[in-house]
Amino acid sequence: MSTLSNNDIARAIYLVSKDKTHAELHNVIDKVVKFLVRKRLLSKTGDILERLNKIINNENKKIVVKLLSAKKLKEEIKKELIFFLRERYKAKEVILTEIIDEKLLGGIKVEINDEIIDLTIKNKIKKLQEYLIRKT
Amino acid sequence: MSTNYIVENLKKEIDNFSSQIKAEKVGHVLEVFDGIAKVSGLSDIKSSEMVTFPNGETGVALNLEEDTVGVIILDDFSKIKEGDEVKTTGKILEIPVSDNIVGRVVNALGVEIDGKGMIKADKTYPIEKVAPGVITRLSVDKPVATGIKVIDAIIPIGRGQRELIIGDRQTGKTAIAIDTILNQKGQNMICIYVSIGQKDSKLRKIQTRLETGGAMAYTVIVSAGSSEPAPLSYIAPYTGVSIAEYFMDQGKDVLIIYDDLSKHAVAYREISLLLRRPPGREAYPGDVFYLHSRLLERACRRNEEYGGGSITALPIVETQAGDVTAYIPTNVISITDGQIFLETDLFYKGIRPAVNVGLSVSRVGSKAQIKAMKKVAGTLKLDLAQYRELEAFAQFGSDLDNATKQQLERGKRAVEVLKQPQYAPIAIECQVAVLYALTKGYMDDIPVDKIKEFEEGLINYTENNTKKFYKEIMETNMWTDVGEAELKKAIEEFKANF
Repeated sequence: MSTLSNNDIARAIYLVSKDKTHAELHNVIDKVVKFLVRKRLLSKTGDILERLNKIINNENKKIVVKLLSAKKLKEEIKKELIFFLRERYKAKEVILTEIIDEKLLGGIKVEINDEIIDLTIKNKIKKLQEYLIRKT
Repeated sequence: MSTNYIVENLKKEIDNFSSQIKAEKVGHVLEVFDGIAKVSGLSDIKSSEMVTFPNGETGVALNLEEDTVGVIILDDFSKIKEGDEVKTTGKILEIPVSDNIVGRVVNALGVEIDGKGMIKADKTYPIEKVAPGVITRLSVDKPVATGIKVIDAIIPIGRGQRELIIGDRQTGKTAIAIDTILNQKGQNMICIYVSIGQKDSKLRKIQTRLETGGAMAYTVIVSAGSSEPAPLSYIAPYTGVSIAEYFMDQGKDVLIIYDDLSKHAVAYREISLLLRRPPGREAYPGDVFYLHSRLLERACRRNEEYGGGSITALPIVETQAGDVTAYIPTNVISITDGQIFLETDLFYKGIRPAVNVGLSVSRVGSKAQIKAMKKVAGTLKLDLAQYRELEAFAQFGSDLDNATKQQLERGKRAVEVLKQPQYAPIAIECQVAVLYALTKGYMDDIPVDKIKEFEEGLINYTENNTKKFYKEIMETNMWTDVGEAELKKAIEEFKANF
């Protein structure tokens, strides 16, 4: 017996609802909810929706970026960063979520899905610490 | 040391430091239990890739699933929490190796545990490597002298061979391995003893024995104790063979002992069940054969063109109540080039080493045996086989013809000669002299209970009086007529005064 993963369900929902009109979509959603009830998967809805969101973003070449910094960044820097990320990930749209975290001491940290580009002072100090320990 | 000196040094080191900017793949711990962590994310991770946890713990990705990665943790896992960040390293698990490792006791990650200070290493070797190919190999033709008569004579081991030592608990499996290590003094051999899931007290005893025997000068001990997590027991033999490969790459001959692979399989079973891999026979996972075959296949003798050197493997497997048909014993028997089968009954009858000569074989070793030994051992095998056959019949009948009686008497003496105490390896030329005396019938009229005494005396006597014979064997591996005459004379002289 094969089991359905949340990812499989999310992908199926995406495929059946793709390019549908408003009225058709209503019908699809109705069927999806009935399916989830029948398979007793309502408790997994949160995860399925999150995955669906990721699939839609991926298909639309949209990336969600978490930007952590010690201080609020200037608009110019942000624009430059968005331009860089658009090039790097071949994305059409970049959604930036900014988080201020003073513990980073300085610099920025960019999180895209499970990839992290860490350019903070905190990370650099940690690496220096590792380097010095290894050297001695 | 002044403060200025420290500050200056620190400044210099900081100047040398440069950190690379790179995008890292990061995951988060979903759950941790029994040395295993389930991690989300880590989308581009490879199988067997090393990952790091926030407190510096290392892990190895074993199960790559759709959403999660099953990681075995190779350090203390008690500090890892749910939600902790896990980073990939892009490297397959590797261990530091150097010449300084000889004489040391290290754990499964190659880190010292004997308290003698850090082992400086400038090289690392991956623990998983594809075994050398057919082109690079040579057939086995150089002997490993174990110093144990019954093995060197009947079940000879060659350099590059894989010979299994199998038997119940307390039958002397480790003793054979340790004796073999002790006998490698001056034989140009690096020894590696991999202890898997053994008691620390036993390991300490072995280490002390090797130290007093002067064997630690050419031995490395890799230990994954029974109190350590199963992942360490799982990787320990691979660590051992990686160290062996480091020395083989320098053209050296290496002897590696895995003590024991049944505990290794149990550790792997534990990990596999925790990772929810489907259980098969005896609850072992489906790839338990590959687990051992890929390990033992790395033992080889390489030809000179590819650097020479060899790795001889002596895996040990413990059986339950003599059952060699269990899963792991049959697997390892089929992988190796022969087995030394030890029996409880023989052990308690006082036949030690308790080798069952009938069931023990060496599939490639006879090619490696020196000519002189081959000559004396050929008839010895026959003597023992006939003795075993006749022994059963002789119990029923009392009237035996002279030839049968003689064969029985010869057999009894052969069994007696092959007995040997622990930690008393005998040089190959002495073995040849003793076995020559036995097979040529010089011991037939010595009472069985005096055989040991006769043997010891004979070795002492011939060592002093048959220098030519010994020299011939050491130099040419065979005796000449002159040497043989000298030995015959010496045996007769000794016998006359015995």
